[in-house]
Amino acid sequence: MTPTRPSALRAEFATFFALFSRGLRSNFAYRPALLLAMLSAALSYAVPMLVWRHIYASGGGSKAVPAQALFPYLLLAGCLNFGFAMNVESRIGQRIRMGLIATDLLRPVDFQMAQLSQALSDGIANLAFVLPVFGVACAFWGKSAFPHDAAAFFAFCASVLLAFVILFAVSFIFVQATFITYSSYGVFVARNALQQTFSGMSAPLALFPAGLRAASEWLPFRHTIHTPVSIYLGWINGSAVWAALGAQLIWALGLLLVGRYMLRVSLLKFEIQGG
Amino acid sequence: MTITLRTEALNKTYRRKIRKPGFVGALKGLFSGEEEAVQAVSDVTFSLARGERVGLIGENGAGKSTTLKMLTGILVPTSGKLEVLGFDPSRQRRQLASRIGVVFGQRPQLLWDIPVQETLSLLRTMYRIPASVYDVTYPQAVERLDLGPLLAVPVRKLSLGQRMRCDLAASLLHAPDIAFLDEPTIGLDVSVKEQVREFIRDMQQRFESTLLLTTHDLKDITETCDRILLLDRGKLLFDGSLREFERRFATKRRIVVELERPASDEVREQLAKDIAELGAELVECRAHRAVVVYEGDGAAPALTQRLLSRLPVSDIVLEKSDIDSMVANIYRRSTISTEKSVA
Repeated sequence: MTPTRPSALRAEFATFFALFSRGLRSNFAYRPALLLAMLSAALSYAVPMLVWRHIYASGGGSKAVPAQALFPYLLLAGCLNFGFAMNVESRIGQRIRMGLIATDLLRPVDFQMAQLSQALSDGIANLAFVLPVFGVACAFWGKSAFPHDAAAFFAFCASVLLAFVILFAVSFIFVQATFITYSSYGVFVARNALQQTFSGMSAPLALFPAGLRAASEWLPFRHTIHTPVSIYLGWINGSAVWAALGAQLIWALGLLLVGRYMLRVSLLKFEIQGG
Repeated sequence: MTITLRTEALNKTYRRKIRKPGFVGALKGLFSGEEEAVQAVSDVTFSLARGERVGLIGENGAGKSTTLKMLTGILVPTSGKLEVLGFDPSRQRRQLASRIGVVFGQRPQLLWDIPVQETLSLLRTMYRIPASVYDVTYPQAVERLDLGPLLAVPVRKLSLGQRMRCDLAASLLHAPDIAFLDEPTIGLDVSVKEQVREFIRDMQQRFESTLLLTTHDLKDITETCDRILLLDRGKLLFDGSLREFERRFATKRRIVVELERPASDEVREQLAKDIAELGAELVECRAHRAVVVYEGDGAAPALTQRLLSRLPVSDIVLEKSDIDSMVANIYRRSTISTEKSVA
């Protein structure tokens, strides 16, 4: 019996959910490693925070971003950055290098969506570790670390989801280079450098030099950190929130489509490694 | 007879970068774009009927895995026609994937960090296996491959043999129309190999699946297949039944004689001359043993008569070449002919 379209979709969704839940369990199998990564990340975020604090305390800083807004921004940006650590390059890159991608491609599921399901499980696992840290930090920063209002919080949640998909799609595009380079390390470094520079992770984009700020307008990375955090803090509000979410949606869909096309071309052009 | 798989003049050429050895070679390789073409599969034409059990054999690098990759859709042929279950594999890979089962012996397909049972239930969801099929395949796999104690164990903790058994179960759980098994017994001990072969036979018979199996262990072929495809340097050298294969390649036969006492030099020389007249060769005659090698049918009675008349025989055995030595012989001949043509 040929399944009807809604039941086929339900079955597809059930597969992605099953992949997501197995991925989550895999992530929790490496709790100590995740905890270690979180502690290292906390340290690497704490140092710039201390530097900024020193700059502002000694009369430096910028009027465009006052101290009471900057620190919640950096805290949330750091937490999002950790939450978005989804291992796409290392996971897919390793499978391309070793030829294990062959077994993934022989499944009756969409490869890109299956990888997105697994990446989501990475994100949720990270969230379980980062939320308590964020909670403690909120207690320290007080009201200024809370969302601007309830609407901002819900818009922020939607924006985070879209930001996650954008970052996944960018990583999915970058990792295809492994078909040529056979190593995902350089690919990860390149993507990460662009992400760290243009996402607004290390500082709000308002503090960037004009040239870099202009460049960030044309790249998708600003929508991975700067846009959701700005929504959360109320820097983007009113109808501008819808415009920001719309831009994120367009980037997300566009990049996913580009990634799909590139995979198709890569599989036509390159070979699966190993005998 | 329903054809489930058909190839016509299938070709695959890889482009490989030429890398020179050493550090300087590696540095040069960064800037040099020199490439060479490697013909992995050359004009291969064959078809498989529903329920056929076929062994694909050949030396390392003969093109077996490349052929399998093209048949399953993960590699695009350079030229030629290819149809599997009515699909063009590389263009309709996902549709085809739900109807085939694949084992790549050297590539684990189970999820590394979670128990075996979890992967099997994930596959049930992924392949949308109906209860009527799953209720047969799952218990049979668990029982025949002795998976019971392994189900709760994370895959990373399994030994190679245990993992291979689980991989095989995972690939046949949905009772595929065609099973492509690439070295399913690689690295396994004798008893596990036996278990695996038995399971493959059972599942194939129960669901009338078509089986295409590559292996270097020819016992896999003799115990599970009826037909052989022999690839040599990308070309199809032989396509036929096991019986035809024997008829064509098992040309050398041996008569092994146990002697009551060693033969004298004189007897030995005379015997060598006698049997040479019958087109045979005395390859060994030492102490209490003599061995005669001959080709073709019908020579055994005359040879046996000569041996019995000349030697103090206590026992006599007639041997046909086994498939291992036949294939080794083919590989050797093919290597020699290539060396000659190169020279």
